Amino acid sequence: MTPRTLDPITFEVLRSGLEYACERMGRVLQRASFSPIIYDMVDFSNGIFDADGELVGQAANCPVHLGAMHYSVRASLERFGADGLHPGDVVILNDPYRGGTHTPDVTMTLPAYAGGELIAFAASRAHWTDLGGGGAGGQAFSTHIAAEGLRLPPLKLVEAGELNSDLVDIIRNQSRVPQYVDGDINAQLGALNAGEAELLRLADRYGHATLRQVMREVIDYTERMTRAAIRRIPDGEYEAEDYADTDGFSEEPVRLRLKLTVDGDELSVDFAGTDPVADGAINSPEANTVSAVYYSLKFFLSPDAPANAGMYRPITISIPEGTWLNPSWPAPTIGCTVLAAPKVCAAVWQALAHAIPDRIIAPTYAEDNWFVASLADPEVKGGHVFSDLPPGGWGGTPFHDGMNVTEEPNGNCTNLPAETAELLFPIEYERYELRPDSGGPGRFRGGLGSVLQVRFDERAELSMECSRTRAGSPGVGGGRAGPPQRQSKVGRDGRRATIGGLTEDGRWLNCLLSNHPFAPGEAFLFESTGGGGWGDPLERDPQAVLSDVLDGYVSAEAARAEYGVGIDLERGEIDEEATGALRATVRAKR
Amino acid sequence: MLRVGIDVGGTFTDLFAWRAGGAELRTAKVMTTPNDLIDGVLEAVEAADLELGEIETIVHGSTTATNALIERTYPEPAFITTEGFRDTIEMGRPHREHLYDPYQQRPAPLVRRTNRYPVREKIRADGSIRTSLDEEQVRSVARRIAESGTRNVAVGLINSYANSAHERRIGELVREEIPGALVALSSDNPKFRELPRFVTAVVRAALLPVMGEYLERLEATLRGRGFEGSLFVIKSNGGMIHSSGARECAEELIESGPAGGVAAAAALCEHFRDGKGLLCTDMGGTSFDVCLIEDGQGLVRDDYEIDWDLPIVTPMLDIRSVGAGGGSIAWIDGGGSIRLGPRSAGADPGPACYGRGGTEPTVTDANLLLGRLEPTLGGKLRLDPDAAERAVATVAEPLGLAVAACAEGIVRLCVEQVAAAMKLVSVDRGRDPRDYRLVSFGGAGPMHAAEIAALIGVETVIVPPLAGVASAFGGTMMDVRYDIETTFYMPCEGVDLLALNERLAALDAEGVGRLEADGFAAEEITLTRTAGMRYVGQSYEVDTPLPAEELDADAVRTVAEEFNACHLREHGVASEEFPAAFVNLRASVSGAVPKPELAGLFAQTAAIGAPSGTTREVLFGGIAHETPIYQRRELGLDARLEGPAIIQDVDATVLIPPGDRVVLDSLGNVVISIGRRR
Repeated sequence: MTPRTLDPITFEVLRSGLEYACERMGRVLQRASFSPIIYDMVDFSNGIFDADGELVGQAANCPVHLGAMHYSVRASLERFGADGLHPGDVVILNDPYRGGTHTPDVTMTLPAYAGGELIAFAASRAHWTDLGGGGAGGQAFSTHIAAEGLRLPPLKLVEAGELNSDLVDIIRNQSRVPQYVDGDINAQLGALNAGEAELLRLADRYGHATLRQVMREVIDYTERMTRAAIRRIPDGEYEAEDYADTDGFSEEPVRLRLKLTVDGDELSVDFAGTDPVADGAINSPEANTVSAVYYSLKFFLSPDAPANAGMYRPITISIPEGTWLNPSWPAPTIGCTVLAAPKVCAAVWQALAHAIPDRIIAPTYAEDNWFVASLADPEVKGGHVFSDLPPGGWGGTPFHDGMNVTEEPNGNCTNLPAETAELLFPIEYERYELRPDSGGPGRFRGGLGSVLQVRFDERAELSMECSRTRAGSPGVGGGRAGPPQRQSKVGRDGRRATIGGLTEDGRWLNCLLSNHPFAPGEAFLFESTGGGGWGDPLERDPQAVLSDVLDGYVSAEAARAEYGVGIDLERGEIDEEATGALRATVRAKR
Repeated sequence: MLRVGIDVGGTFTDLFAWRAGGAELRTAKVMTTPNDLIDGVLEAVEAADLELGEIETIVHGSTTATNALIERTYPEPAFITTEGFRDTIEMGRPHREHLYDPYQQRPAPLVRRTNRYPVREKIRADGSIRTSLDEEQVRSVARRIAESGTRNVAVGLINSYANSAHERRIGELVREEIPGALVALSSDNPKFRELPRFVTAVVRAALLPVMGEYLERLEATLRGRGFEGSLFVIKSNGGMIHSSGARECAEELIESGPAGGVAAAAALCEHFRDGKGLLCTDMGGTSFDVCLIEDGQGLVRDDYEIDWDLPIVTPMLDIRSVGAGGGSIAWIDGGGSIRLGPRSAGADPGPACYGRGGTEPTVTDANLLLGRLEPTLGGKLRLDPDAAERAVATVAEPLGLAVAACAEGIVRLCVEQVAAAMKLVSVDRGRDPRDYRLVSFGGAGPMHAAEIAALIGVETVIVPPLAGVASAFGGTMMDVRYDIETTFYMPCEGVDLLALNERLAALDAEGVGRLEADGFAAEEITLTRTAGMRYVGQSYEVDTPLPAEELDADAVRTVAEEFNACHLREHGVASEEFPAAFVNLRASVSGAVPKPELAGLFAQTAAIGAPSGTTREVLFGGIAHETPIYQRRELGLDARLEGPAIIQDVDATVLIPPGDRVVLDSLGNVVISIGRRR
């Protein structure tokens, strides 16, 4: 570690100046973007990197980008070399095997120069609505990445200030929504220009030598904070595993295993024993897996420290090549951010549960539940694309119950209000509410998942990446899982039939839906799972159980079976006698 | 005639009064009386030596609504909603407040789940009825509500913005079943998007009994003591409303204090008349608020959140807040770096130098050590520089800094933080702060305003006179204002002109009707129309002005072009490729009330003659400057000063750094011209 030489006030002013630069990039991008997925879903991140391509600061609006963007900067540097980059250049890429993760995430990188010297990079990553491929938004469940749309290796989108309009034409030609392309390119370029302007302002005011020194020291600073946080975790080896229900083709779950080792102020994560590359779309390129580990850990390692390469230094991540968490071309990867990353996060938290049981929270629903439906409309040529991410619940914490219906840790999206969707599309929301009994039982209960039912006025085809349909997310410290997720079709007669997940007779149906057809008047019903429970449900305060039952978050039956609490529903009181006996019985059965 | 503004804040109750045209001015400041706010109101009237019988108009702002909401002390309403949507107001939107905090929680629902009643009915987005209302079920729900002892009921149904029939019928049935029921319908604000509309109805139902009781009692108390004039209440949209109608729109009464400040800033800066906007700022002990003012109007937004993810649809002044103030605490983080805030020493224990047990260093402590703060706080409190020094030393020592350098660093961090926040607010609204003047209110505002302005490129800072009672003064300058809104979703291309003009005319008529009922004559009424517009495929709207006349096809084309321009200003981009669409329509009507002649009014606050200056040593950039100290009440309207200087006001200290220049304008505003830095 370099000793501190800057005066601490200047350091803090410049540190927040860099943070502000990233924040400003994000605001400019969001404000200027035309595509709803950027504006509403907030599926983008912006960062500043030093001249070697090390992350200095990031406004990670989307945590799954936290540890992945420097792969893009590095790939751009490798392709052109520092000598091949010049003022006024911007490099674009999205190739999952050359600096990207999945095809919709497009990264642009701008080298910033002061006094003729390369001082830093600004980079911007945003999820584009569509870049072609077999399904809308890249949602095609094929065994080859070619089905997932246009792949751009590192290319100069702008060279010496001149936009490469041939390249833009190719992109527009490939997209199902070419009208968004120019707007999104401009929004990202706007963000890069804002970042560059802030860097130059700081360099101008404080000198670029000072700015470069601060960039180095900010990284050291995060490293110190991260090491201090690791030291608060007891030394040891902690193992965990998790799985995706399917890759879309397999009948068997696709597993991941990890061993998390803490040694003093260093931490390592080893994925030895993880299943091989999957046939289907769930594979996660190294950048995405690494990023998932970082964001999962960040919740418990100095969440407030600036997001930068200093966090990477004390953490070693080993992912065997040829596993589904470190695949190579031509393995498809469209599901890496939405499906693979949440499983990595759930496994990391389960491993941490052994190490810091009094600080960890139980896993969330560990899904994005991303669906895309193409809707016919006799009045609109080409129909509509309707997409949403019905959320589940967060895990119970050592201090209180988990949050209901909250976006997965990997992102921070909002959703489409029912009235907006009904105004824009030929659909009707029939239900969107809490799913009772879906929170994993625990001393502190998992937050509840949701029930979404959408009826299609016209013919529709629905694709969905999903998992947790065999079992809900596990609890920690004796906490339990909620019920599994389930995809159903509700006919015009109101009858429900499972189309993904477990049926009444115990069969499991593949939950990666690919263009599943719906006739006019049929509805899609999705029940998400809640978070895992924290601690033994028999230790839950009976008053909390009573309150849950009165509000209908938990049924009286579940109160008896899971929590061993008898409720006198007539009087709205706890049946103390029954509760004593019930808790003894449940305990004895274990 | 006597016109009186009374603003009840968290700590003080302020009064500002003027008589006929501005011949006489009175102010008062008393402690707020939390047990019964009305006591403080009466005390303020007494302190200003006013007779209630001679007051023609009282304009009142109060924290009653806000407090009831924040502390959840309202009588919990019942909520009746469409089957399948019982949890909308609890689920909110699925994003979270803090990206990486594993222990964060959502705010508790405004209405417990058990008090939310789904009923069978369904209306489609086009207003057609898919499932008729099950009236028997509604009656049985209403009886259950009555049995639970609840009297206030909110009704929010999906798509009721398009057809309010079911909500209105439920309202009737509830009134039949629950004698004396207080009912709020979401369709009274017929804007699409269920969450904000439902939350608005719930907030209104929750506050109906609270504000009804408060305003009735206030009015009865005033009348009982001889008040025969009119009572108005400040609204969060920057206008006011007659008290008789106020309880019916209680959700519009939250955040009324800042609205008064914005009106005050607009009034006191009107004479600049050069098209520049104002950044109206207020910095107190714990937070820094900013609102942009253009053409004398504060910018409004209609997605204000009363708590994380609890948005309401009411148009409100767009006031943004950051956790930076005089009480912000400096601390050393786990990486060994100095940080400032957002934790604040607040009022208790307060900064270390207040001697009330605070030991952590605050911005106020730093200012005291730098000589910038008057050591007796205007004779109110003997500040303890030793305690401040000890507190600042706790961070200076580990950083290896001298205490004075550290103190200056703390102030610098505070100024940088606020400057960054103000730049982001401007970015969000597509504005460049350099095109604005900065108006500084609040106990800690004028101490930092010049430095903040220098950082964001603002050339002029204005510190208004009598800033301590600005909100109360602002109240007396407000017009009566109503915003009438509706949803009208239709692309501009091929818009149904007949329907568009009918809807606009209906909005106008409703607004003008309300003002006429308030007793305004036609020539006192101003009408402006706005459309919330978007590009087809977008999901956010940009306010676009509409002409007041009937619209024909050409006019709609002009509106679409105007929308492009507005979108360009707010978002930095515009598109010819995307068709534009109408989403919401709004008629804003205001009824003008008499205003005083401000120059005459405020001339009374300035003195004539040379100030009797003392000096104090103040640190700027590590160098001690022997700095003249002026009492504001001793400065004449012709005063001209150069920095470094300090102007001591009753409630605040104006700091003029070296290189800046000051004049007092005709209203007694301290106008600081920012000089070049470094």
